[in-house]
Amino acid sequence: MSSTHRFVRLGVAALVLVSMAACTEQPATEQAQQTHRLFYIILALAIFVSVVVEGALLWAIVRYRRRPGDDEEPPQREGTTRMIIAFFLFGTVIVAALFPFGEVALGNIEQNPTPIVTIDVTGSQWQWSAVYSNEGVVVSGKTFVRPLVMEVPVDEPVRINLVSNDVMHEFFVPAFYFMRNALPGHPNVFTWTPTRIGTYRGQCAEFCGLGHYQMRFIVKVVNPTDYQAWVQKERKSILKINCPPAAGNNLELTAHNISWNTNCLAITAGQSASITVHNLDAGIDHNFAIWNSLDTTHQYFAIPKFSGVATHSANLPQEVSQLKPGKYYFQCNVHGPSMSGVFIVEPAGSGQGGG
Amino acid sequence: MAVVKAPTLARPEPFRSRILDWLTTTDHKKIGILYFFNSLGFFAIGGILALLLRTELARPGTQFLSPHAYNQVFTEHGTLMIFLFVFPMLAGFGNFLVPLQIGALDMAFPRINALSFWLLPVGGLTILSGFLVKGGAGASGWTGFAPLSVQGGSGMDLWDLGLLIVGTSSLLGAINFLVTIVRMRAPGMTMMRIPVFCWAVLATSLLAVLAIPVFTAALLMLLAERHLGTVFFDASHGGSPLIWQHAFWFFGHPEVYMLILIAWGIVSEVIPVFSGKPLYGYRGVVLSFLMVTALSFTVWAHHMFATGAVELPFFSITTELISLPTGVLFFMWLGTMWKGKLRFEPPMLFAIGFIAMFLIGGIDGVWMASPAMDFAIHDTYWVVAHIHYVLFGGTVFGIMAGMYYWFPKVTGRFLSRRLGIWQFWIQLIGFNLTFFPMHVLGLRGMPRRIADYLPNEGWTGLNTLATIGAYVIAVSIALFFINVFVSLRKPRDAPDDAWGAGNSLEWATTSPPPAHNFDVMPEVRSGRPVYDMRMHARAQGGGSTP
Repeated sequence: MSSTHRFVRLGVAALVLVSMAACTEQPATEQAQQTHRLFYIILALAIFVSVVVEGALLWAIVRYRRRPGDDEEPPQREGTTRMIIAFFLFGTVIVAALFPFGEVALGNIEQNPTPIVTIDVTGSQWQWSAVYSNEGVVVSGKTFVRPLVMEVPVDEPVRINLVSNDVMHEFFVPAFYFMRNALPGHPNVFTWTPTRIGTYRGQCAEFCGLGHYQMRFIVKVVNPTDYQAWVQKERKSILKINCPPAAGNNLELTAHNISWNTNCLAITAGQSASITVHNLDAGIDHNFAIWNSLDTTHQYFAIPKFSGVATHSANLPQEVSQLKPGKYYFQCNVHGPSMSGVFIVEPAGSGQGGG
Repeated sequence: MAVVKAPTLARPEPFRSRILDWLTTTDHKKIGILYFFNSLGFFAIGGILALLLRTELARPGTQFLSPHAYNQVFTEHGTLMIFLFVFPMLAGFGNFLVPLQIGALDMAFPRINALSFWLLPVGGLTILSGFLVKGGAGASGWTGFAPLSVQGGSGMDLWDLGLLIVGTSSLLGAINFLVTIVRMRAPGMTMMRIPVFCWAVLATSLLAVLAIPVFTAALLMLLAERHLGTVFFDASHGGSPLIWQHAFWFFGHPEVYMLILIAWGIVSEVIPVFSGKPLYGYRGVVLSFLMVTALSFTVWAHHMFATGAVELPFFSITTELISLPTGVLFFMWLGTMWKGKLRFEPPMLFAIGFIAMFLIGGIDGVWMASPAMDFAIHDTYWVVAHIHYVLFGGTVFGIMAGMYYWFPKVTGRFLSRRLGIWQFWIQLIGFNLTFFPMHVLGLRGMPRRIADYLPNEGWTGLNTLATIGAYVIAVSIALFFINVFVSLRKPRDAPDDAWGAGNSLEWATTSPPPAHNFDVMPEVRSGRPVYDMRMHARAQGGGSTP
């Protein structure tokens, strides 16, 4: 009797375990592996407690049902203090066993190793956008039209700086076993180290209004070569940006917090032009250089690097103002792509150039 | 025991004055019945809203509700179920039973009692009237997180104002319960002799008195933010959306214990009666209730692990600690059943269902108490599964146990046993069909509160299953309403001690009790005065118990 009982119990436990295992996704980051393991540790304890309590309940139902015609009063036991203490101890042992596992997993997840890629992710009603500031890549979804697609290299720590533009959102990738709120005015920082190449769906998990259910995004974990190729491809999208030529061909540019105030400068071809650079970063060097293209093989012009807080002005040489109308590239040579943009030379007489 | 007192009124009063009587009554029993009807009405509305949600989610694609409609419906479903069904329902039990169980004539403040009832339908209809205004009802979830709740039309204001009214009602009711239990007990009814149900009401009332004012403050801040240009929740002006969350959950977590404590009380009354034994470890149960009351004020930020703005280990350990007194209760209920003589009448079935289901709701909460794990399942369908295992598998099963148990005391008539057993099994099956798959949906990454999902996400089958389960639940609840309706048309047949095994004082008076509650106040010499009476009668050989 008791051995069959034990056998049934084991069978039920195994069944639950297997069916639950089928439900969890394969973890795709180092951090997710921690959480995945924690899930099974808690599951083991949960099955133990369930079998004890539900088993005792079933036993009582079967064993202590009143037989017809049995009117004798059962013993009126009211429980002893010793038993009550024992029941409290039972729970205490479970909690004491459980809590350290959770803390260890949490500690491992919250380690912030030096990141290889840093991404500023912003949630807004109802889309995500991601800025790879070191690479000069900006990618964004479009509300109700298409999700954000962001790529990250495999096996490298990726740091996400998360913030919201409006209401609360939540950045959730199920296969990464991780979500974090995007809050207005309260940036959150965390690190993923993806371990498996693949395409993973993500979604806003904090209810944020009408378009909440469509606030999806996609994380592609790729090998480093593919990642570099993607970065180059996305950077070219910078060349699609347009802006009108500066009034009087006098350009102004401000560096603050290691980024420019704009990623687009434009002049009218054939007219003399000047540039004024304000460096608001105290003690940090910036310069300004105009290049032929994103591959930076030929530099047309540069002002020497100078430390903030200061302002530097210069006239652009003929080589620049006489350039064939078209799209060129500018950056701070100290910081590279993270401070870069498109430099446009508009043909003369194209409308806005006069003045 | 079989003596049934003839009603003193020779003929029923004229119809008009009977309506007037119900509108103006200050009798705690009639007010309790009003609470029941009001709560069951909102239960029906909230249930229909739930069916709308499940119907929409059965298949991918928005076939049935627009996303805007969906958002309103899930917001009002949660708001009605929590604030206008569960809590008032439990208050209804408290109203009817507390004075009877402690041997009092009425509540301490009968007119305030009437006021706290009549505020409820006013508040509830205020919230519901949002469906009639431009822009629709409040659509920020029952948690009303700012700054989302600062957006939205006047439906959001009606939600806010309605909850202010409901909160006032709960606060007044709680003060009334506290004073009644502390000051109005019959001679001999010491604090350690009052039924555990009264302890549950006492603990709940303490929670309400301490927590509801914080919620009231949050609601007023939200109104000010929406209309007076304050910036409490506006990060661009130095405010923070976290202020709303702290205030809301400082109320909200004690609140969920308010929603379960009285169900614990009900189950702790039912199980001894149908086991033929006293409650196992009365002092342990009382201690557990009080520990939960105290600890529930230290756990609120476990709802905020994913904000990255709270102290994780602290709120994790307090959350795991609160499971200790909760866990002890299971042993007390099992200890009561152990070596008893169990009778599987409908109240006992629902009480056993409560134990089995609430255990799952307690255990699946353990995953969320561990912050690392919570990051993976917070705000997914796992949470939806958890809250329903606690509030449906727990509280609603407990409410049903109480309904079947006290219905003969309240009305003088038994609910149909046959229908009750059918209802129990259909409800148990439907409930698990609906909510167990949601654990798996959560693990597969389905966020809560989404109006739609894509066909390729692997969520379709389980959602369809959950929707089928929801309709099965609807059948079981319909059976309950039919049972109430049919049973009320039968003649009165319930004896004083309706189940023949009562312990507490309400079983010493007639079913239903007279307006003044007791013709003769029994002596209270233990925690089981009616059991003592039965033993006394048996010892005198005065006939067997009915």
